Parts: sequence; structure tokens; C-alpha cells
Amino acid sequence: MRNLRLPFDFSFLSLSWGAVGTLAVVYIGLIAVVMSYAALTIEFAQSVKTDESAVATLEAEYLASVAQVTNTDYLAEGYAKPVSPIFVRATGATALR
Amino acid sequence: MRAQFRSRLRLVLAGIALVALVMLARLYTIQVMQGDDYAAKADRQFASGGSGLFDRGAIYFTRKDGTLISAATLSTGFLVAINPQTIGDAEAAYQAIAAVASSTVLTHDAFIAAATRKGQVYVEVAHHLSDEAGRALDAAKIPGVQVLKESWRYYPGGELASQPIGIVSYGSGDSLVGQTGLEATYDGVLSRSGDGLYKNFFAELFSDAGDLLVNAEDVRQGDVITTIEPEVQTRLQDDIASVNKKYSSKESGGIIMDPSTGAIIALASYPTYDGNDLASVDPLILGDPLVEHVHEFGSIMKPLTMTSALDAGVITPQTTYNDTGCITVNTRQICNWDLKPRGVIPMQQIIEQSLNVGASWVATQLGQDKFRSYFTTLFGEKTGIDQPGEGHALLTNLAKPQQIGYDTASYGQGIAMTPVQMIRALGAIANGGTMVEPHLARAIRLSSGIERELDWSRTTPVFGATAARETTTMMTAVVDEKLQNGKAKIPTMSVAAKTGTAQLTDGHGGYYSDHYFHSFVGFFPSYAPKFIILLYTNDPQDVTYASDTLSSSFLDLVHFLIDYYAVPPDRGLPGTVTTTPQ
Repeated sequence: MRNLRLPFDFSFLSLSWGAVGTLAVVYIGLIAVVMSYAALTIEFAQSVKTDESAVATLEAEYLASVAQVTNTDYLAEGYAKPVSPIFVRATGATALR
Repeated sequence: MRAQFRSRLRLVLAGIALVALVMLARLYTIQVMQGDDYAAKADRQFASGGSGLFDRGAIYFTRKDGTLISAATLSTGFLVAINPQTIGDAEAAYQAIAAVASSTVLTHDAFIAAATRKGQVYVEVAHHLSDEAGRALDAAKIPGVQVLKESWRYYPGGELASQPIGIVSYGSGDSLVGQTGLEATYDGVLSRSGDGLYKNFFAELFSDAGDLLVNAEDVRQGDVITTIEPEVQTRLQDDIASVNKKYSSKESGGIIMDPSTGAIIALASYPTYDGNDLASVDPLILGDPLVEHVHEFGSIMKPLTMTSALDAGVITPQTTYNDTGCITVNTRQICNWDLKPRGVIPMQQIIEQSLNVGASWVATQLGQDKFRSYFTTLFGEKTGIDQPGEGHALLTNLAKPQQIGYDTASYGQGIAMTPVQMIRALGAIANGGTMVEPHLARAIRLSSGIERELDWSRTTPVFGATAARETTTMMTAVVDEKLQNGKAKIPTMSVAAKTGTAQLTDGHGGYYSDHYFHSFVGFFPSYAPKFIILLYTNDPQDVTYASDTLSSSFLDLVHFLIDYYAVPPDRGLPGTVTTTPQ
């Protein structure tokens, strides 16, 4: 039976150096990925918070509009109170609902 | 081949060494050669890291269509700080800052004083600058002036439901925590650890893989979704404020609740405050008076007395009694509001005409033990509402043997409870005899996106459905026949209601003869209620009866809710019905 022989002629030392080099490159790459990940995470989070802040401003405008409509004195605005309110069956939702 | 590999390996190592050398050279350039420039730049740096910013979950209103509207959220902008050691022309710096932050900057004298404190390196002089203002100020590159990103708690509704929503502030520690309202109750859900943005995925992976799969914070942290409907809340708040201002009352309040679930749709009190501007707020109004303050509610207690007696079987709706106008109990006199006798009348009239002598007669028929048993069930325990500082009902008169204590309790004097406890008890009549848990938060939306419904299903049976229905019939007659002399009747909607006028205690064991507490309760549709409304106003001036102060507000809310929620009619005619104008 023939002795099994690897097609490469490596020493243990050179193999170790190769592994060290590979690990170093991987490590640097890993650091780059982690830093990019952290930077993107912060950027996205900041972006979300900025958007939420903008939404809050719009919500404040909406709630202020509701308050304005509620507080409006329609009699003072020239509208007359119904003389005889009539209760009827609803036939469909109005646009105001 | 081996030599060839070695040479390649050396080439790779040389490359790595070269990269390392380049990085070292770059670091030397940045930190040593250009260190001063970068230090100055850092001093003015406005895009600070996210981890230093205040973070907290949101609280939401829920519109009738399910849309969530922020009740409490975060706003982001910029703060301005100065370094007194490096600031040049303090006057010019102040003018530049005041030009973009006129409303939030320190006063001129305070600013100049801060700029002269050379022993300090960091003094905050303006907050809450807009994005545009912050960037404009940073672009000016004023020496010694730093523009920093900041976030703060923001309440888009301002005064809207401010007391139940609550506030955050610095407590005993150095972090902002919920102090009142839902902010305090759900502080554990709303608070954030603050390290979320700087989490290193790989470090987390290597240090604690389990946390990535099941993160305890993700299970706990979230947003609070309330049952408060913003438009109904606005309407109630407006009505309450109007009543308080019109009658110069000490305070006023109101609650609108779904009697079958305990979901509070709106609750308001006056005076109130704007959560965005706490600088000049009286600390005494920061709490929620609807939960903390106890009152003697007066005659809105009579429906509970009546239902207790009907449920116990000691009376029926057809039972009659002889109303003499006044009676003497334990040497104390109890009289009807107008001192007039009614003669022999049925139970219905006790509710319709709000007769104290009749309520006392019913309490006597019920007996002390049964009366105490019913009222202890109704008011003996806290409601469990998700608000801090809930007050205890004062029921000590029911622990004494004197009948006078039971008689006065039957019409709402001598015992006191919070408005939330009162609406919960009265809600039992609307809900077929069963009390529910009043609550403001319906769900927690976790950081993971999952919405977890809160369990508010605990109920407390108090009365039988028949007794509750019989009292409801009596209360419906109040609106149809008595309120505004019958003009308040809605032909297409049955509404049950009761007014209450209580004398205020004088603090010396007696009662004022000319100071009153007004209350009003009602629910509709009477026999399948969707809403129960409780209103009160404390010490209104130049008016005696609750029917004068609160009827209009109650009816305004009823008509608004019918229209807003398109509540279908529960009675009426097939065609159209005309009613007299109010």
C-alpha cells in the first residue's frame, strides 16, 4: 500500500503564520463590520426619532384643530340655533363623521 | 512550492504591517498634529451620539376608528451650552443665541453671569431649539458655544388629559422617571435603559447569546395604548372648563366610561395644566383629582340605595310610603330639598323628585347590616384603576350603630368616595348589576411590535339584573319627565340620569348651608348602555342645584356622543319625530 502524501509541502510554522495572517485580516474585517453596523444603527435610530418628532408636531396640529372646532362658538360666528330639531333615522354616514 | 508560499505569506504580512503603519500615521496626524482643531470641532459638535439622548416609550390616545394619536412622545432638537473658559465675546454670543432661541434662552443677565464663571466648562443656556435653529447656530461657529442634540418628553395635546397622562421629572435619582398619572403607573414599560443604540451585535453574540434570542427588555419595554378618545376628551374637557369658569367653582371634573368594560373614554378635571410647560404649575394640581380626591356626592347616591333595597327584596317599584317632608332621626332632622311633604307616593318618585325622606325610608327598610354590606361591596375596595395614589372611600359612618349615618348615606351625605369609585358603582346599575374595573390603558405595544392586551376582565357582581333594570326605569323617567321640565327628552334615545346636590362640610363637623357640591350621572341607551357619564363641580357660586349647573353639559355630551359614535336609536317612531327646542 502506498504511503498517503499531501500534495502540499507545509511545515507547522508556516501553517501557523498563515492562520495568524488570516485571523488578523478577519479580525480587521470584523471590526469594520461592527463599526459600520453601529454607525448605521445610530443613524437609523436618529432618523426614526427625527421622524417621530415630526409626526408629533403633526399630531399636535391635529389635536389643536380638534380643540379649535370644539371651542368655536357657532352662534357668535353667525350660525343660528335650530328652531325645531328633527330626529330622523340615519340613512348613511355623513362626510363629517 | 514551499518557498513560493513563504514569499506570499511575507507579502501578506507586509501588507498588514503597511496598513497598521498608515493607521498609526493617521492617528498621529489627527490626535497630535491636528488635535487642537478637532478638540475645537468636538466642542461645537452637535451630532452627539444617540446613547446620551433621553429615550422613553410613547403613550397613545385611541381614536374611535382605532387610529393611535400620541398623548406623550419624544421631541428632538438641540440645546445650547457655553464653555466660559473659551467663550470670547459673551454679549455677541448671547445676541446670536437669542436670535434663534428667543423663548428658551436664559435671561441676558443670567447668561452674562454664566459666561463669567471661568471655573466651569459647561453651562446649558438654551433648550428645545428646532432643527433649523440648531444647525444655523452651529454653522455660525461661535467660539465657546456648543450646539448639542437633545430629546425631551413632549405632549402633543398640551392640556389634553394632562392629569391622567401624567408627567416625568427627576426624582431622587439623576434620571427622568414618571411621577404622576400613566407615566408613573407604567414607568417600568415606558422607561428605556439608554444603551440600545450602542449595542454591539457581535459582542452581544459572544457575551450572552441568550439575550439576543429572548431579550428581557424587549418583553418589558413598550408603548402604552390608552382607551382615551381624543375628540371626546376634548369635548369633555371643554365642557368641564366652561362649567367651572361660568360658576367660579373651586374645581370640576367628569368621566365618560363604557359601563360594560370599564374602558374610560374620557376623563377631565379643571383646573389643569400643560405638560409641556410645568414652570409655573401649582404642584397640587399635578395629581389626578378624579382618582385622589374624595367627595360627598349627594343624591346621585339614591339610585344605589334604591337598587340595594330592590335587590334585597325589601321593596318593589310599586311599594309606597308616606312622605312627611321632614323626619327626625337620632335627634337630627332630615328634610326634602324643598321641605315639602309628598304624602303617600311610590318608589319611583323618590328618584324622580330626589326625596331625602324617601331615601332614608328605603335605608331603614333595608336595615343597617344589609345597607353596610351593599355599600362596602360598592366602595369598600379601591377600584384598581391604573393611576397612582387612588384614595380610599370614607365609610366610617356605616361602622356606627346610629341610624342617622345610614339615612344620610342613603342620599350621599356623610360618606365620601372618589369620582372614579362613584362611576364604577353607578356603572353597576348600567351594567346589569355588575361592577367592572375602570381603566385607562388597554394594551402595551412591546418593542418587538407585539401588542399585548391588558386583562381588565375582573368583575364584581353587586345587584341582580332585575333590580338594576327597575332603577334604570326610574332614572330614565328623570330625563323624560323632570330634566329641564321634560324638554331634555330625546324621542329616539332613552337616557337614564340623576342629579346630586350635597352640602359641603365646614371642617368642624358640620355643613355649610350655602356651599354645595354638584354632581350628575347618566347613561344611555338606558337598557343597553354604551356610555356612562359622571360630572361634578365643587362649590359653584350663586347657584344651588346641580340641575342648573350640569344639565346642559350632560345633554351636550349625550348629543355629541350619539352623533360622533352614530349610536343607533333604541326607541322612537318609524317616521320622523319633532321635539321642542331646548
